[in-house]
Amino acid sequence: MPGLAIRREGVFYLFALPFAALTILFGLWPILLSIQVSFTASATALQPHPQWVGLANYAAIFADPVFQASLARTLLYTVLAVAANLAFALAYALLLDSALIGWGRTVFKLAVFLPVVTPDVAGYVVWRWLYDQSFGAVNAALKLAGLPGFGGLASPGTAMLALLVAELWHHAGFYVLIFLANLAILDRAQTEASHIDGATTLQRFWYVTLPQLRPAIAVNLVYALIQFLKTFTAVVVMTKGGPADATNFVSFYAYQQFDSAQYGQATAMATVLFAIVLLVALSAYRVTERGRA
Amino acid sequence: MTRPSPWAQALALAVAGGVSLLFLFPYAWMLSSALRSTREILSAPLGLWPAKPSAEAFASIAEAGGTTLLRATLNSLGITAASTALAVCITALGAYALTRRPQALAFRLLRAGFLLSMMYPYMLLVIPVYLVMFKLGLLGGYTGIVLFLSLGPVQFFLFEQFFRTLPPEVIEAATVDGASEAQILFRIVLPMAAPVVATVATITFLLNWAQWFPVLVISATPDTYTLPVALLALNGELGTNFQGIMAMALITTVPPALVFLLAQRRVMGGLTDGAVKG
Repeated sequence: MPGLAIRREGVFYLFALPFAALTILFGLWPILLSIQVSFTASATALQPHPQWVGLANYAAIFADPVFQASLARTLLYTVLAVAANLAFALAYALLLDSALIGWGRTVFKLAVFLPVVTPDVAGYVVWRWLYDQSFGAVNAALKLAGLPGFGGLASPGTAMLALLVAELWHHAGFYVLIFLANLAILDRAQTEASHIDGATTLQRFWYVTLPQLRPAIAVNLVYALIQFLKTFTAVVVMTKGGPADATNFVSFYAYQQFDSAQYGQATAMATVLFAIVLLVALSAYRVTERGRA
Repeated sequence: MTRPSPWAQALALAVAGGVSLLFLFPYAWMLSSALRSTREILSAPLGLWPAKPSAEAFASIAEAGGTTLLRATLNSLGITAASTALAVCITALGAYALTRRPQALAFRLLRAGFLLSMMYPYMLLVIPVYLVMFKLGLLGGYTGIVLFLSLGPVQFFLFEQFFRTLPPEVIEAATVDGASEAQILFRIVLPMAAPVVATVATITFLLNWAQWFPVLVISATPDTYTLPVALLALNGELGTNFQGIMAMALITTVPPALVFLLAQRRVMGGLTDGAVKG
């Protein structure tokens, strides 16, 4: 009975219908609208018949020195944040996985993971005040230790570092978890063989452990790159892009452009950032896939 | 293997313990700041033990961030619960269909489109999402917020991964016995999926409780603000109610922290699986 077979297949489309509806309504449609707006004049962008301006918005943003600086700053911050997060996470995961830690492993893991499930707004609000010059604990601690004060979020020279530390607090636990999951399935026989062969700790790490951690490094790299390219909440809560544009990353600058009704340029920036995220994610994926094969 | 020296063990414990304390310090400081007077804080910003604990800060935020604390709390609970329930149902059904018929062209396109839209820097979707909500007449209401929060990549990956490991014999046997696809799903597959449903529900609760930007964008007035949004509004207000801000941050933090600590294995296992195999 072909009719019955068709009905049997049709059920799957029924199952997928709500999921498809949400994906189209709140995923694909807004993205297409956003890209469409990036080719129109801001003043007419929200009207029924917007005026098409071709690539004028893209030309405008790439000629805008604030955007150029913002893009360079975003890339610099991404590289620094990814390196700091992965280095910290790898070191901490190796420490927790080592034979040196006998007890307390679960507590040490929970301590760094709790910030991951803490609402980011709440976490960054606390950090904003931790850096405060009069209420904050950071400078009080430095003073107690006899160290020079830290400008924190108030000084253009240190704001990016202050942001990076707060973001590491919020995100690193996730990367630790991924490394730990990978460390748990390492081939112990290889490690023991290297012991017998008389390899030093450093040699063992470099030639035995690290190659086996490739899957975790790949996953963390892709996630962290996407994460920090899109840094937004921390900026909104802690710095509003300041001081003196020191933390004005592309996502925040584009959002500011929205707020001042520069819809065309704002969506052009969004499209550029989207293209970078896609490019980074795809190339990281391809590199690691090739490495695995 | 050589036994590590006690000195090395002590050093390792000290480092891990020190890092853990640094990561936990903001929580202790938030709690103590919510309970201490301004004078006490300014004279000892590092002190954690309140000399005269006071609940004044909590009373001071009964109305904060343009709404009432009660309303923001109820909004948080209601929006998170509704969007979690919806996310579990919609994603489970969707991921099931996509894994059972992976070759169907429509499903391959849907999967690609979904993954693509999850990569978009969503803070930049603000205007288009606002426009879409406007066109659908969902601006300013709870429906739009709940629907928008019912779609996420982790949820999809976890379900997809589970359905991919279903033994085909189980489904074949049921088909031979004359079960319809709906019966197979609801009588056989979903009961087997109970653990993954629990994992996805817990993780979605944690993720959606923390959401703030879509809530802010879709809200027309502070009446639909959730706790994080009200906290952000309070933090941006002129004049400093430092203890009030800390009290509100505490109220925003405690529910997900409790859920996480009660279901830590499930949450950490689920987030690892969703990331590694996705």
